[in-house]
Amino acid sequence: MSRKGVGIGAFDRSRLTSAHFASHGSNLRASNAEALSTQLSVFRSLLQQFAQTHAKDIRSDPSFRAQFARMCSVIGVDPLASSHTEGGSTGGGLWAQLLGESVNDFYFELAVRVVEVCGVTRGENGGLIGLAELTERVSKGRMEGSSEISEDDVRRAVETLKPLGGSYAVLQVGKKEYIRSVPRELSGDQRAVVEAVQVLGYVSVGMLRDNLGWETARCKTVIDDLMSEGMLWVDKQTKGEWEYWSPSFMVDTDGAVKEGE
Amino acid sequence: MAAASTAAAGADTSFRFPREYSFPAFFTRQTNLTTHHAQLSKWSALVLAYARHHRIFRLGLSAAADSDLFYNRRLDRRLGMPDIRELLDFMKRDGRIEYASGGGGDGAGGGEGEVVFVYWRKPEEWARKIEKYVEETGQKGGVLTVYELGQGEGTRGTEIHGIDNEVLLKALNVLVRKGRAQIFGQDDSQGVKFF
Repeated sequence: MSRKGVGIGAFDRSRLTSAHFASHGSNLRASNAEALSTQLSVFRSLLQQFAQTHAKDIRSDPSFRAQFARMCSVIGVDPLASSHTEGGSTGGGLWAQLLGESVNDFYFELAVRVVEVCGVTRGENGGLIGLAELTERVSKGRMEGSSEISEDDVRRAVETLKPLGGSYAVLQVGKKEYIRSVPRELSGDQRAVVEAVQVLGYVSVGMLRDNLGWETARCKTVIDDLMSEGMLWVDKQTKGEWEYWSPSFMVDTDGAVKEGE
Repeated sequence: MAAASTAAAGADTSFRFPREYSFPAFFTRQTNLTTHHAQLSKWSALVLAYARHHRIFRLGLSAAADSDLFYNRRLDRRLGMPDIRELLDFMKRDGRIEYASGGGGDGAGGGEGEVVFVYWRKPEEWARKIEKYVEETGQKGGVLTVYELGQGEGTRGTEIHGIDNEVLLKALNVLVRKGRAQIFGQDDSQGVKFF
């Protein structure tokens, strides 16, 4: 049987040990944090170095650029943020240094093109455009000799529009990504139809009824909703039921439609 | 006219249809107003590009309805006559087509309103081209016959060569109204003087 800890002194002792533990713990935490922050700053400077040595690749190769951006975001560095170089001497952010001297530059310029294309095509697609299609259209409008643009670039450009409070957002429906340029959320049923349309490019009331197990009235309602928002086009020249087409199939399956015929 | 346009189509490299031409729903009149407007704009652009490519100046409606412009045989989809008329009204508002009075004179059209001029260049634009041509060739102040302008050796190699006679006259009348030209003579042998 231990006699330890008997008497008033025991209270003192335990208070002492817990105080020791506490101070030791905070020491540890402090040194840990310090080590981490040094590591991080070392990492950042390395990253910057890396970015500078590979500036040409980052500029010209979209997949390399995407990889680099992904790496940055994993480390918690936002290459687009202009405040990231705390020294201030360089300013303007990594991308700014890499992708063009008149900053706010590459991605902002791209964002402007995104807004343009979304505006022009809103009439035909109701403000919902496939990321792939958008990327293609944005690329087409660019001058000869300017660097290639990837879907990742466009996604990033759309992100830069967020602070403007606009309605621009990236939307994942099923396997496909869309850019939405109208302040409208899709309902659950609408999402289901937009997803179903991806398979063949069109849906019909019968297809929805059979595949989603919905009542006919429900199918009709959702289709009518999407039609009234301009997100579906009706084809009445079918042999049977009317088919409702996704306008993004004016592009995506240009070849596929041909093959299907 | 249909014969002439198909001949032109055969001679040229084939026209590249826009992607919406492979989109089945493009051939059905859309019920949503905004969508419908987008649809009309696309069709209008297609008709103009098609006419420009084949240098079609006048379009016989019934022949056109069966041509590949409005009838995609691969998809088995066509733009119906009421929709074609609606499209033409839309284009007319933009000054891009004009109904030819008198059925075009070659008997192909039949009744009134069956033939339209397609202005992939408006008469005013043709007028500018003609004026530029006259200036550049130093024929200002001189007299040319209408035939010379449209079919003569002088304009060969320019865009004016082969222009539809009636469209040419419309263009010349634009210049007359501006006081830049004067037309005289009989129907068959009209001449133009440029100032």
